[in-house]
Amino acid sequence: MTAAQDRSSRFTGTWKLVRFILRRDRIKFPAWVLGISFMAVYFTTALPVLFGGEEGLAETAGGFLSQGVVAIFGGPGYGFEDLTFPRLFVGVYGLYIIIMAALMSILMISRHTRVEEQSGRSELVRSNAVGRMASLSAAVVVAVMANVLLSILIGTVLVGQKYDPAASVLFGAGVGAVGLVFVGVAAITVQLTEFSRTASGLAGVVLGAMYGIRVAGDSIQEHGSPLSWFSPLAWSQQTRPFVDGRWWPLLLSLALAGVMVGIGYALASSRDFGAGLFGVRPGPARAAPWLGSPLAVAYRLQRGSILGWGAFLVVWGYANGAIVESVVDGLEGVSEEVLAIFGGDVAILSDGYLASMGLYNAALVAIFVVLGVHSIRSEENGGRTEPVLATATSRWAWLGSHMVVLAVGSTLLLAVSGLAMGLGAAVGMQESALVWDVAASHLAFIPALLVFLAIAGLLYGFVPRAVGLAWVPVAYAFLMGFFGPLWDLPQWVLNLSVFEHIPAIPAEDFLLAPVVILAAIAVAVGVAGLAAFRNRDLIAT
Amino acid sequence: MNNVISIRGLEKSYGSVRALDGLDLSVTQGEVHGFLGPNGAGKTTTLRVLLGLLRADGGTVEMLGGNPWTDAVDLHRRLAYVAGDVELWPKLTGGEAIDIMARLRGSEDRARRDDLCKRFDLDPTKKGRTYSKGNRQKVALVAALAADVDLLLLDEPTAGLDPLMESVFQEYIREAKEKGRTVLLSSHILAQVEVLADRISIIRQGRNVETGTLSEMRHLTRTTFMVEMARPGDSLSGLPGIHDLRPMDGQVRFEVDGEHIDAAVKHLAELGVRSLVAQPPTLEQLLLRHYGDEPMVVEEGI
Repeated sequence: MTAAQDRSSRFTGTWKLVRFILRRDRIKFPAWVLGISFMAVYFTTALPVLFGGEEGLAETAGGFLSQGVVAIFGGPGYGFEDLTFPRLFVGVYGLYIIIMAALMSILMISRHTRVEEQSGRSELVRSNAVGRMASLSAAVVVAVMANVLLSILIGTVLVGQKYDPAASVLFGAGVGAVGLVFVGVAAITVQLTEFSRTASGLAGVVLGAMYGIRVAGDSIQEHGSPLSWFSPLAWSQQTRPFVDGRWWPLLLSLALAGVMVGIGYALASSRDFGAGLFGVRPGPARAAPWLGSPLAVAYRLQRGSILGWGAFLVVWGYANGAIVESVVDGLEGVSEEVLAIFGGDVAILSDGYLASMGLYNAALVAIFVVLGVHSIRSEENGGRTEPVLATATSRWAWLGSHMVVLAVGSTLLLAVSGLAMGLGAAVGMQESALVWDVAASHLAFIPALLVFLAIAGLLYGFVPRAVGLAWVPVAYAFLMGFFGPLWDLPQWVLNLSVFEHIPAIPAEDFLLAPVVILAAIAVAVGVAGLAAFRNRDLIAT
Repeated sequence: MNNVISIRGLEKSYGSVRALDGLDLSVTQGEVHGFLGPNGAGKTTTLRVLLGLLRADGGTVEMLGGNPWTDAVDLHRRLAYVAGDVELWPKLTGGEAIDIMARLRGSEDRARRDDLCKRFDLDPTKKGRTYSKGNRQKVALVAALAADVDLLLLDEPTAGLDPLMESVFQEYIREAKEKGRTVLLSSHILAQVEVLADRISIIRQGRNVETGTLSEMRHLTRTTFMVEMARPGDSLSGLPGIHDLRPMDGQVRFEVDGEHIDAAVKHLAELGVRSLVAQPPTLEQLLLRHYGDEPMVVEEGI
C-alpha cells in the first residue's frame, strides 16, 4: 500500500459513521440544539417581564449590574452604560448559552470517540472496512453540524424577538464559535486518557479555567483587559453584538479550533487503539488501615464528590459574598417584583440577599444529596453492592452508612459554602459579624436537606427505579423559595415546600420548632427507607 | 453427616418468570458440591437466596444452621462468595477491594492474601476499571480464598480464567477441602465440576433433575469415541452399552455408556487402534438426552 492510499483509507467509512451517529443520537442531538436554543427564547422573553419593560430596565438593572457583578456572572459588559434588553441578554445571559454550547461539544465528541473505544463497541466497528480516523472524523463532523445548526437557531430566535438582525446573527455565530473551540479541546483530551470520564473531565477543567481567566480579565478592567483575551470565551463576547459588532475575533476561534482538531488527529494517529497517551498510574496495593468498616467504605466512595462540590462551593460562595455590596447598591430603587425575591424590603436588602443566597446554595447542596443517593443505586445496579452484602455487612449498616456520609457531607458543604460566602461578604462590607450570620443562615437548611435525603432514601429503599422522583421536592422547594413570592400563591402551596419552613436568617430570627419537626420527619422517613431496603430483593443484574 | 446447606421446595419468581420452581439441594459438611445447570437454570438465583440477597417465595432454606434471610450477617462471617459477574469499584485498586472485603467479613490474613496474589499472578495495584474480566475474577477469588471460613459459595468462579489459573484454582479448592471446608461450586460445564466435585446436583428450569456422586451418575455419562482402526469395527455393535455407531471420514464414531467403557476399550484394542479421541459428554448433551422432551430454556443471567 502506498502512503497516499494509506492516507485516504484512514477516513474510509466516515460518512457511514456520521449517519450512524445521527441515528443513535436522534433524540440527544436535537435535544441539545433545541434545548440551548430554548434557553435563548426563555431569557429573551423573561427579561422584559422580570425587569418591568424598558423603563424598569433603566432604573433597576443599571445600578444592580455593577461592573464587578457583570464581570463575574456575565462578561466585559459592553454597552451597559446605555442598557437595552439585547445588550443585557448578550452581556449577562449570553455567557450561559455559550457555556452550554461548549458542554454540548465536549460530551458529543467524548461520547462518539472515547466512550465507544472504552466500551469496546468501536472495536466492533473498526473490524469492518472503517478507517483509523473515521470515528474521530465522524464525531467532529457531527459536532460541527450541531454547532452550526445551533448558531443559526440562536440567531433566528433573536431575530424573532425583533433584535437587530446583523447583531443577532453575530451572537449566534459567537455561540457556535466557542462550541467549535471545545470540539477541538475534546478532540485532544479524548486522546490523552483511556477513560472517557477523565477525558470529559479534563475538557471540563479547561472550560472552567477559561471561565476563570475571563472573570479575572474582565474584573481588572471594564470591557475586558488583555488577560481576558487568553480565554476563547472572551473572543465571542468581544464581538460586541448590539453595540458595534465586529466579526474578526471569531477568526481566532476558528483558527484555534482548527489547530486543536489537527493536534487531536496527530495524537490519534500516533497512539494505539484503546490506549491513552498518559499511562494509568498504579494505586496502593493495600487498603489504608482505616478502610475497614461500612462507614469508611461509604465515605471513600463519596469522597471525590464531596471534595469536588466543596471546592466549587467555596469559590462560588466567596464570589457571591464579595459582590453583596454592589448588589445592594444596585437594588436601591429596584422593582417590586425583584424586591420580593430578596425579602421584600429595601431596609433589609443585604440581609435578604444573603438569606436568598443561602436558599440558593442549599438547593445546590440538595443536588449533591440526590446525586449521592443516585450513586448508591448505581452501586447496586453495577453489581458492586452484592459482594459487600455477602460479607458480614448488614443492609442497615450498608445503606445507613451511605446516608450518614451524605448527611454529614451535606452539612459540611453547607457550612463551607456559608463560611466562604460570609467571608466574602464580610470583606466586601467591612463587617466581620457577617461571617457568622451567613454561615448560620446556611446551616439553618440542614433539616431541609435531611428531609430531601430521607425522601430519596425512602424511594431507593422501596422502588429503586423511582429514585429519580427525589428531584421533585428539591425542584419544588427551589422554585417556591425563589419565585413563590412573585407568583402570589396561596400559603398552603408554599407550605408544601420544605424550604418554606426554614427561617430566612439573617433576615428572620432562628426558630427551633420547625427545625426539630423537619429533623424528626427526616429521621422517621429515613428509617422507613432503611427498613424497606432491608426487606426487598437486591436488584439482580 | 451434617448438612451445611439444605434447601427444600425453594420457589422464587421475578414477575411472571419462575426462576426457581421447587428446588431441593443438600450440601453436606466438608464436601465439594458441583451445582450444575445450563444458563438461566436458576443457579445464581439459588446462591442469591442463600446469601439473603433475595427473599424466597416458598420452601425452606437452611445454611450453616441458620436462616439466610434473617441471620444474614452472622452467617456471612463464616462464608465467602465469588459472584458470577465480578464488578469492582472503578477508582479503587484490586488490592484495596480485597482488603475491604476481608475486613468487612471480619478477619484479614495478609500473608495468605499476598501468597494468593502471587499464585494467581494478580497485580493488586491496578484500578478496578482497568482490570480485564479474568483479572476481576481473580480479585474476587483471592478475596474469597484468603478468607478463613467454613463455606465457599462460588458462582462460575473460573469463567474468565486461563487453563493455568484454573489449575491453581483447583489446587486451592482441594486445599480448602483438606481443611474441612464446604464448597458449593456452580458451573454450566460438566467437565469443570467433575474434576473437583464429590457430589453433583444438576438443575434445570429451576428444579433439580439429578443429585449424586459421580459414580452414581455414571449411567448419565455417555462418552463419545472417534476411532481409526486397522480392521472394520462392525463387531462393536454387538457389545452392550454402545449407541449410535456409524462410520465417519474413514473412522468410526460411537457412544458408550459410562459403565461399559472398559469392555468397549478392551474390544477396540483387538481391532488395532490407529488413533482414538474420547470426549466426555457436555452438560447440554446429557440434559438433552435424558430430558430432551421439553425445549431447553437458555437465557442469560437470572
